[in-house]
Amino acid sequence: MANGQRPLELILARNFLTSLSTPGFLVDGEGLLVFYNEAAGAMLGVSFEEAGSMGPDEWGTAFGPFDEHGEQVPFERLPLTIALRQGRPAHSRFTIQSVKGAQHEIEASALPVQATAGTSGAMVFFWPLESS
Amino acid sequence: MKIKIWGARGSVPSPGPETTRYGGNTSCVQLTLSDGTIVALDAGTGIRGMGLALPHEGTRVNILLTHLHLDHIQGLMFFAPAFRPNSEMVIWGPESPEASLQDRIARYISAPLSPVEMRELPCDVSFRDAPHVEWRIGPATVRAASVTHRGPTLGYRITDGDTSLCYIPDHEPGLGVQLAEDDPDWISGFELARGASLLFHDCQYSDQEYPHHVGWGHSRLSDALAFARRTEPERLMLFHHDPLHTDDFLDAFHGTAIAHWGDLGGRPAQIELASERRELELELPRPAPAK
Repeated sequence: MANGQRPLELILARNFLTSLSTPGFLVDGEGLLVFYNEAAGAMLGVSFEEAGSMGPDEWGTAFGPFDEHGEQVPFERLPLTIALRQGRPAHSRFTIQSVKGAQHEIEASALPVQATAGTSGAMVFFWPLESS
Repeated sequence: MKIKIWGARGSVPSPGPETTRYGGNTSCVQLTLSDGTIVALDAGTGIRGMGLALPHEGTRVNILLTHLHLDHIQGLMFFAPAFRPNSEMVIWGPESPEASLQDRIARYISAPLSPVEMRELPCDVSFRDAPHVEWRIGPATVRAASVTHRGPTLGYRITDGDTSLCYIPDHEPGLGVQLAEDDPDWISGFELARGASLLFHDCQYSDQEYPHHVGWGHSRLSDALAFARRTEPERLMLFHHDPLHTDDFLDAFHGTAIAHWGDLGGRPAQIELASERRELELELPRPAPAK
């Protein structure tokens, strides 16, 4: 359902993610997860079309993430949260868990999506470390 | 709202015997609002003819620029009211973090590209970033929104009474999007165009030409029609013709567009190819006669 026009930069960010084989998430200015691409869906074990939009409390815990001690990474320390709240890039390394139970050690790089009207969201890219 | 098309061509002026009917001037559409307020949509070379047709005394014109590519500003330096001290021009356009609207336009109206400098124009001229919220010009409300093109680019919606015109001359909404299927909120320009009385929309390329121009910021015919089908304007004016498209080509293109539009469930009378000097009037539907 349409709930109002997305800012153009979010539309373009989604288009960009759609065409990448690098897993990526896109959240809007309120922190709502509005899209993740097929590569992210393959890693998480569920496509975005199946999972649907998620609020911050949901996407921040749905797939872990866990630190090197197996502890849940606090929401406010996630790169995507930092990018959105503080308007700056952020990077971290942690483990996420797919809906099928598979664990993936990844590095995550997030950056805010900003235009002349301000910050309209943030993107995060995941770099799987299994093969490195 | 009265409408007159002074330039329907994209990219570069294309005068010559093969473009006499659709015209060779670049983007410019004149609106005369219900109280007589004059608005120019873009200032391509078509605005030269518009300027010559305006009254000499006390002309006040709002010029809404979608973006600053040359085919949308080239006529500014040849717009007669700019050279009359009793004229007023208010120029609206997309903001940019790089420089003010005035400074960006002054790159064209300055040496070595121009014999005159902006400061030498005798008219009263001002420059305003198009706001992120709706604003008023005369009796109309105006809304601007960023749309998919190369560089900061706006589309406009002008609502005067119960009629509305949406103008998106440079637009590639189908880039990376399934226009027929994706949620409307992910389609560039959707809210701007939705249900407009008349939609001016980019249709620079045929479907056969488009593969060589993906990402150039313009629409192929099937995407322009799919966008219109989703946004449901009452009428569609296909605009920004490629400079290589001759009158004969555009006649045939119109036939193709009507056939494709019919396949999508549209009526032939809803669709038109913009041609220079074409005049239209948007008015309320007449009430049905009493029985």
